[in-house]
Amino acid sequence: MTWSVVRACFLLLLRDRGALLMALIVPVVFFLIFATIFATAAGDQLQLRIAIVDEVNSEDSLRLVKALTEVPAVRPVPGNLTRESARDLVRRGTADVGLVIRADGEALATASGLAAPPLLLLVDPSRSVTATVLAGQLQRAYFTALPDVAVGRVAELIGTEFTEFTPAQQAEIDAGLARLRESAGAAEGSRPAGWSFDDLLERDNVAGQNAALNNVAYYAGAVAFMFLLFAAAQGALGILDDQEAGLLDRIAAGPGGIDVVINGRFLYLVTQGLVQTCLIFGVAWLAYGVDVPGNFGPWLMISICSSVLAAGLGLLLVTGCRTRAQAQVLPTVVILIMSAVGGSMVPRFFMPHWLQQVGWITPNTWALEAYSGVFWRSETALQLAPICLGLAGIGLVALGLSHWFGRRLVRD
Amino acid sequence: MASKTEPLLVVRGALRRFGDRTALAGADLTARAGEVLVLLGPNGAGKSTLLRALAGRVRLDAGSILIGGGAPHERPVRRRVGYVPQSIALWGRLPVRTNLEILGRLAGLPRNAVKAAVTDALAWSGLAERADEPVATLSGGMQRRINIAAGTLHRPDLLLLDEPTVGLDPLARQSVHRVLEGLRDRGMALILTTHDLVEAETLADRVAVLAGGVVRAADTIPILVGGLFGSDQEVLLMLASDPAPDLRDFLRTILFSPTNEPCLWIGRLAGGLEGLPGLRHRLVGAGADIDELRVRQPGLHGVFVELTGTVPHS
Repeated sequence: MTWSVVRACFLLLLRDRGALLMALIVPVVFFLIFATIFATAAGDQLQLRIAIVDEVNSEDSLRLVKALTEVPAVRPVPGNLTRESARDLVRRGTADVGLVIRADGEALATASGLAAPPLLLLVDPSRSVTATVLAGQLQRAYFTALPDVAVGRVAELIGTEFTEFTPAQQAEIDAGLARLRESAGAAEGSRPAGWSFDDLLERDNVAGQNAALNNVAYYAGAVAFMFLLFAAAQGALGILDDQEAGLLDRIAAGPGGIDVVINGRFLYLVTQGLVQTCLIFGVAWLAYGVDVPGNFGPWLMISICSSVLAAGLGLLLVTGCRTRAQAQVLPTVVILIMSAVGGSMVPRFFMPHWLQQVGWITPNTWALEAYSGVFWRSETALQLAPICLGLAGIGLVALGLSHWFGRRLVRD
Repeated sequence: MASKTEPLLVVRGALRRFGDRTALAGADLTARAGEVLVLLGPNGAGKSTLLRALAGRVRLDAGSILIGGGAPHERPVRRRVGYVPQSIALWGRLPVRTNLEILGRLAGLPRNAVKAAVTDALAWSGLAERADEPVATLSGGMQRRINIAAGTLHRPDLLLLDEPTVGLDPLARQSVHRVLEGLRDRGMALILTTHDLVEAETLADRVAVLAGGVVRAADTIPILVGGLFGSDQEVLLMLASDPAPDLRDFLRTILFSPTNEPCLWIGRLAGGLEGLPGLRHRLVGAGADIDELRVRQPGLHGVFVELTGTVPHS
């Protein structure tokens, strides 16, 4: 008897394509996506797009650039860049991080740490981890490509701080070590004895000094948009409830027809999405200090456009399905995949380059770029207008298609 | 509103196919203001398709439907038509009043007219005292009455009802009948489908019998019966077993019609009861193993059987 139940369960599963898809295909697809993302993020496959500017063009700087570009984790952005164009590339997200071997800094071989360091990192605060990764790769390249410079600096250090190891010298070494120990707590502005690779580096925030260096803003946008999509799809399912109850038929027979139902639900979903976004960013503001009030105009514009997109997409995904089972599965699958690829779960710079490019197909990427633009790069409403228009435009196109599919719901 | 003499509804040659299946095969129909027209027919006869075509929910492949001179899908015409689906097409978790207010607006009522229309509908449907309770908590009969009320808020000239009493007990059915009669008395034309012949006899001013996607006949019940049977009686023959082919042929020659039950045949008896022994003798002579032979005054049941060749459900 038990096997009869097992048989019935399997037969039902085989006849329910939605459930079959969810049970067998979706897990595999998700595994592939997350394996691709996390193998990159956790392993040594992370590849940074770096905007490199060599203002010095000395023998040392050329050797350093050459060594850096030979590191597998580094992918230079092509072109003859200036400091400003590199900064712009990082701001726009075309490059993950920028490196300037600056003409207005100390020389690589003689950097003392007292004047401007020879290397300037151009960092987008929303991707600050990329600077840390680049610093590590830079250090590796430096010691690989410029060992003579590195050892020369050590020799200089020995020559400066130590002498030959005769008894007399030993006494001097002891005295030198004592001076090193003393210099560890040296006051700011005085040059500590010894040298560090950090003496060569300076970090420059491309967003300017007003950017809130706060990862919470990124995840507020990421989570808000993902759940905006989920809530919209769930809310759109109500159309099928109305269809099953006969309400859709009744309303469609009225003077407004099915268009009234679709438009009404669209406006409801936009409002719901906006309230949802307000709640998430409200908490981010109150609990974590994300500067929502200071960026209220651009933030509101993005949130409205994101809600329009989510509402349109949710309606399209639901009305496009032929059965309720499909409508319960398909939107979930599509939204999860879009969220994974689009950066709602893991920042996109952790992903391989090709997957980052694919991410631009998803609205998640657009919305996250827009929110990053507001909270990291302090972009204005005008600068954000194209991406917002894109979001809203796609939402309205989806709404139009939902009307077409909606008529199918009540058509005999 | 159309006058009493001019038809409010005129259907001519309504044709509609769904793939290979022909749901309407050239149906003709008329309806006047202030009358109840009941659509009868076996499953698949085209009743629901015709009703949905009248509601503008199904487009015809050929033929025409005019309601007050306009096509059903035209917006002004939709304002003159009310549609009550077979299911309880309401939001079960919302109160009765809220349902009616929303559906009133969706039916095209101006905002300032909704309140009065809802109050009126609650009064005539006898639900004023339950107006603030969620629909789902009410009895089946009450839900049906609200379902109907929701279709009438904009005071349509023509109200279409798809099996408005299906699944109700006799008492609840009576309460719905009273509501429908009240609407007719207000001058509304009602067209409804049903499988219940008793309901049709109770409510109908006229009956339209459909079979195979066409309207076989449409008139008052006495005229339909008189036209089909004249002074003949209706005879029900129940055989003890399925008839052999020879017996089937014989039954057809003496104008008996088969039904959807193989042992049940229905015919007519001319000249009164004195002809019954002779009929019985001929049947036995042809090899019929008679289980029951009954004579009755022809009525809507006989009309249904005669026109559709099937026995109604009820």
